[in-house]
Amino acid sequence: MMELFSLASRQLTRKKLRVFLIVLGIAIGIAAVIGVTSLGEGIRVQAVEQIKTSHDLTTIEVLAGVEADTVTLITDSKARAIASEAHVLFAAPYVKDSYVTQNNTYLAVKGISPEYLQIHGHSLQLEQGTWFDKTAEGTPMPIVLGYDVAKRLALIEDLGIGDEFTAKLRLYGEEGRPLDKTTVFAIEGILESTGDEHDNQIFVEITGAMALDEKAAYDGLVVKVDDPAFAASVRAKIVGIGLTAHSAQDVIDEVNRLMVAVTLVLGFFSGISLVVGALMVVNTMIISVYERTGEIGLSKALGASDFDIMKMFLAECVIIGVIGGIFGDLLGIGFSVLIDLVGKPFLINALGGGMGASLETASITIITPSILVAGFLISLVLSVVSGLYPARRAARLNPLDALRQI
Amino acid sequence: MTVETRGLTKQYRMGDENVVALDGVDVRVEDGEFISIVGPSGSGKSTFLHIVGCLDAPTNGEVYFNGARVDYKNKRSLVLLRRQFIGFVFQTFNLIPALNAVENVEYPLYFTKDKKSKSERRARARKLLALVGLENRAGHLPSELSGGELQRVAIARALANDPKLILADEPTGNLDSKTGQSILDLLKRLSTEDKKTIIMVTHDLASAKRMGTVIGILDGRLQRL
Repeated sequence: MMELFSLASRQLTRKKLRVFLIVLGIAIGIAAVIGVTSLGEGIRVQAVEQIKTSHDLTTIEVLAGVEADTVTLITDSKARAIASEAHVLFAAPYVKDSYVTQNNTYLAVKGISPEYLQIHGHSLQLEQGTWFDKTAEGTPMPIVLGYDVAKRLALIEDLGIGDEFTAKLRLYGEEGRPLDKTTVFAIEGILESTGDEHDNQIFVEITGAMALDEKAAYDGLVVKVDDPAFAASVRAKIVGIGLTAHSAQDVIDEVNRLMVAVTLVLGFFSGISLVVGALMVVNTMIISVYERTGEIGLSKALGASDFDIMKMFLAECVIIGVIGGIFGDLLGIGFSVLIDLVGKPFLINALGGGMGASLETASITIITPSILVAGFLISLVLSVVSGLYPARRAARLNPLDALRQI
Repeated sequence: MTVETRGLTKQYRMGDENVVALDGVDVRVEDGEFISIVGPSGSGKSTFLHIVGCLDAPTNGEVYFNGARVDYKNKRSLVLLRRQFIGFVFQTFNLIPALNAVENVEYPLYFTKDKKSKSERRARARKLLALVGLENRAGHLPSELSGGELQRVAIARALANDPKLILADEPTGNLDSKTGQSILDLLKRLSTEDKKTIIMVTHDLASAKRMGTVIGILDGRLQRL
């Protein structure tokens, strides 16, 4: 085996310029693929990093599970089971109800537990007033208004902190008849703007809310884990008991899927240059078969089988592929650095804002070991596959015809 | 090794013409015999050598090595026969330019697959080079050797797989008469000392006669000389 390759390398060293040109051709193709792939990978990593800084990766949103026709509700026992899982800090249940004021203003009311505030506490800051505590039963029910709701109520109903108002919750009885329940709310606090759905919600203590809406299960659960690393396993367990779960990981997965697809498409098209390299190998090897027709005939006369001849030519292709792969990887690293140098200022300008700013310190291209290994293997496989036809042609030569060529 | 041909016939088409290269040739070569086949160009002598050398198949007739018929339809067995029993010497030497003398001699051993180690093969190649008097030229490339030296390397290479039968196609055709004679002496020695069966094709009747039995071929038929 070693001798096969030493023989092949001897043959190749006699045609240094030709081998250099093929290797260069393959290496440029590999470098193009590596450069484009490293750009895709770099942007993917940047995007994921961006998501990680703007999303809380330790929070999992849990909703009732719907599969085919069965609905799995978030019962209290399920909530407790989730809360007692390893690495789960809190499992904060909530219920959502729609109330309407006497002036027909619709209110989205969210019944929350103290844990909910522990999870979202950093964003739910009071602008004025206080949070209700757990003893908030009976009427009037203390509530905290989201920023936008507070503005609306102040404008339409002329309500502010310390005011009380009556609202109706419409339930449907067993025969389908509507059943209205009336309660009195007391505004105890108003939140600062959070910029998300909390601005349009009214918060109330969950036990009071559930006493009113007569729900047997929670509408949702916010689960907090102690470390993002365990989010996936906890999430899997939640999905395992039939519930639906969402987390920032969904967004990351989405970005990953998109970028991998984009990178594959770009890599595929930049890989077209590899076709040129492959054709060079085919061409050079066919020329080589012609030049060495006599040698092939001789080898056959000396006892070489067709397969021996084929191996000799393929060994040369393997060497070309290996050298092409190594140079392709090196050139690809250089290409990727070049993309970073030239492309980054352009990309920062185009993106602007947060994404652009975060790019300032980072690199837009990333070379991973697997990219380099893939580049090397592509070169190797390409050379060998390109050599198959010429090698087969050499192997099939009639020894007598081949000998006459000398 | 004895070589026997029975009714060996070879026809091929060249353009519209049907060429009869061999026309029912019956030859028997004994073990260790040195046979020269002489004839003008196109007489079919090279075709005869190629068929006996398992490089070409006859249209009709049979070849027997030690009494066993050669199956020309079985490509694999032809490869094995060439590999194990036959050594070729060509008019144009046909050394591989990328390899030096000792590597050229070693070259057929790449294909024998007898699991000899690299050093064993190298030792054998050196011994064969010594046998043809070129032990000092082992490291030289073919481009650095004279015609006579090239043919000696080629003969050493033909001996690499220790063949029973050596087929020489005009081995002295490209050499001056003095060098040619030394090559013929070397071949003669192989037949007398090592009991190799040798079939040589040549058009030099005078030197052929000095080697032993001579068979003439004209228009594909044997001629008694």
